[in-house]
Amino acid sequence: MSLPDKKGNFKSQDAPRYDDVLQCMRCGFCLPTCPTYALTGRERSSPRGRVALARAVAEEKLEFTPAIKEEAFFCLDCRACTTACPSGVRAGEVMEICRSQAQAFYPLSKSGQAFRAFILEKMLPSPEMLEASMLPTRLYQRLGIQWLVRHLKVLKVGPGWMEKAEGMLPRLESPLRPQLPEVVPAKGEQRGRVGFFLGCVMTLMYPGVSRQTVRVLSHQGFEVVTPKQAKCCGAPHLSEGDRQTARQLALFNLDLFLSLEVDYIVTDCAGCGAALKEYEELLEGQAEHEKLTRFRSKIRDISEFLSEAGVRTEGLKPVEASVTYHEPCHLCHAQGISTQPRDLIRQIPGVELRDMKESSWCCGSAATWGLKFSDDSRQVLDRKLKNVKDTDAELLVTANPGCHLQLAWGLREAGMKQEVLHVMELFGKAIPE
Amino acid sequence: MISQTAIGHLREKLGARNVLHEKEDLLVLGYDSTPGVHHLPEVVVYPTTTEQVMEAMGIARREGLPIVPRGSGTGLSGGSVPVKGGMVLCLTRMNRILEIDEENLTATAEAGVITLDLFTATAEKGLFYPPDPGSQKVSTLGGNVAENAGGLRGLKYGVTRDYVMGLKGVLPDLSVISTGGKSVKDVAGYGFKDLLVGSEGTLGIVTEITVKLVPPPKDKRTILAYFSDIRTAGEAVSRIIAAKIIPSTMEIMDRATINCVEDYVRIGLPREMAALLLIEVDGHPAPVAEEAAGVQKILEEVKAAEIHVARNAQHAASLAAARRTALSALARVSPTTLLEDATVPRSRLAETFAEIERLTEKYKLKVGTFGHAGDGNLHPTVLCDERDRDEMERAHAFYNELYEQVLAWGGTVSGEHGIGLAKKEYLARQIGEGGVKVMKRIKQSFDPEGILNPGKIFDDRDPCTKSHVEEGFRVSP
Repeated sequence: MSLPDKKGNFKSQDAPRYDDVLQCMRCGFCLPTCPTYALTGRERSSPRGRVALARAVAEEKLEFTPAIKEEAFFCLDCRACTTACPSGVRAGEVMEICRSQAQAFYPLSKSGQAFRAFILEKMLPSPEMLEASMLPTRLYQRLGIQWLVRHLKVLKVGPGWMEKAEGMLPRLESPLRPQLPEVVPAKGEQRGRVGFFLGCVMTLMYPGVSRQTVRVLSHQGFEVVTPKQAKCCGAPHLSEGDRQTARQLALFNLDLFLSLEVDYIVTDCAGCGAALKEYEELLEGQAEHEKLTRFRSKIRDISEFLSEAGVRTEGLKPVEASVTYHEPCHLCHAQGISTQPRDLIRQIPGVELRDMKESSWCCGSAATWGLKFSDDSRQVLDRKLKNVKDTDAELLVTANPGCHLQLAWGLREAGMKQEVLHVMELFGKAIPE
Repeated sequence: MISQTAIGHLREKLGARNVLHEKEDLLVLGYDSTPGVHHLPEVVVYPTTTEQVMEAMGIARREGLPIVPRGSGTGLSGGSVPVKGGMVLCLTRMNRILEIDEENLTATAEAGVITLDLFTATAEKGLFYPPDPGSQKVSTLGGNVAENAGGLRGLKYGVTRDYVMGLKGVLPDLSVISTGGKSVKDVAGYGFKDLLVGSEGTLGIVTEITVKLVPPPKDKRTILAYFSDIRTAGEAVSRIIAAKIIPSTMEIMDRATINCVEDYVRIGLPREMAALLLIEVDGHPAPVAEEAAGVQKILEEVKAAEIHVARNAQHAASLAAARRTALSALARVSPTTLLEDATVPRSRLAETFAEIERLTEKYKLKVGTFGHAGDGNLHPTVLCDERDRDEMERAHAFYNELYEQVLAWGGTVSGEHGIGLAKKEYLARQIGEGGVKVMKRIKQSFDPEGILNPGKIFDDRDPCTKSHVEEGFRVSP
């Protein structure tokens, strides 16, 4: 018997599906896995509580109040609750959808809206504009202004997020996108042809990581195609509640990558990977079903891909180091990829992997969450840093640029010695020049 | 509604952070894991000490508010649902383990300590706290005490009551009571402690608990058996018990449960089997080996389809963990999961399965059954949709008829979940009007004004006129 969907007090576009909300049987298995519940001990800041709030809105027991908006944005969207939920409730996604409801119910001021639209609708969708925007920052670093700012502690007088954002900036190199050849040939016997989805943060902040990813893929026998026209995956838009722009970007990337005729589409950014894998739901009814399933079947995170393909280990040189691994939420919880990066690390000769406690607990970065809630973020991060410290490993390896920024900043602030590396950077060290 | 002055007093005594009264907070603290029951409290407080519990209760009394204690809200009979509104007293911020006494083999902890945390802390000292409700990762010790929670090891080790040695708490007249303690033997007067355990928050608010610890078993074997007919599994359980073997755990899952659990955990449970028995024997190595052999022999005799011995401790733990997710995993199938807690003498297990099958067909329902087969404690769970009135009525009729049979066999309406809201009517059928009357008199002597968790276990007079009740959907008739 099919029963009608219920929107209740939600605005009709992009409302959580009532069935998804009803699925929660309130067992509470999500409670011990939720970082914001751990912070506040407050039921409404738990996955179970948040789903109950969404249910109350759908059942017209509650308006879409400012408190719900607050909870939608306070949720880290780390998806740890999704992993923990035996009933299959996806509380993180329900909150992600509530973020777009929040934008509809509580529009920003005119200038705020204009700024938001500029960032989300103009700048992020344009690789060229993004690259140009980094130029002043690179000058700022090259001309020594950053040195001055940091030493004179000028930003102490500004809002907390500004000081943190500045402190998190890695030393920027020029973006990778224009430098990367469209096609990089496979080395040795060719095993296939893959499309590489180069993420925005990767090309701008961590070009070295993706350079290694392409190098590793090529070394492992894959021809790598990196389309220069590729646009942002849409994750920042979903995170800010702009599902419309996210859909436009998704439609563009869908067609672009399907036209490449590659066996797989690989990314080294956990956030992009999760977003790409969720195009299927995001574009439901907006693109041909066949195209969506074909696209979905091709998307792989780099660790997942190499683990499926099997790693060629002959000729790898040893990397003598003790390593611990932080699991990005969007890799382990959103994509269910947990053992593969570890297996990959273990296959690097010389490396000793030391598992940390709570390796899949969020680091507190979570897109702009770490800036918006900088004090809370610090607490989540401190828990992570303690667990890193307890392993006494020399290197901290992860697989997502957001985590990378946050962890590197945290370690610097705490005066800890570990260097942060992407799994591909570590693997790259084992490949002879 | 609660007065602003009272809110002010609560904030003063407990701190602003520990007093919540916004609608969003009230909405999410008006439920537990029991489907279909949801009522709004007027205020929620999080005391952090016994004194604060007393202060909060004093203010509630002055305001004429009912007081409903609550832990993590994993209860399955509606025990912590504020049916008459009032004050929800949430004990999750009283979460310190106060002492692990290795000389006396006891542990003392605040009511809000998570059960698994106590288990882990005692295990680190080489000791063992046996009660292990399925929700041990989430549920609080105080909640376990209030509901006298059972668990997967109940068969050999008993339930929460069997480990509680002492309690500290606040009674409705605001006196602080300490009952029992670290003395192993204590027969001074009435057994208040045993009365408070399982009283579902209707007699007093427990704030500190002293439990008995035991030496951990030196050895353990885990056996997994699959059956092509669930009644054979029931027969196996009865025969193992009749052979005077008491495993620590003997858990059952039927086909529907196996499939939902497998959908979640993906550890290769066989989807086509009608039932699975998870059996653990523990103790000293020699008897463990002997008992495991005995269990295996019986399983072979009844012709279990497959018999496996867990490869290692990790494999055994993953099987037990999978079993713990059974109820929540069943919720994958349908929007509403109605579960019951029927418990029968163990010789009746096979018949009970047959009865569940018959009723499932009669009422045209989808039912998943799992539970603690070794205790005769089963959780037949109707998978339905609360929006479908007709289906809900058939579900109620199903349970009605099942309980009639269970009681006729000398079973009980609740093995471990408590009566709460869900099983009030059945309780009277089990213990009779006389039994309910005595219970009411006990309640009366502790709580003459009827301020503590009103409406639970049995219908009492309604002392609280100032209630703000939102109509919820009641599960059981």
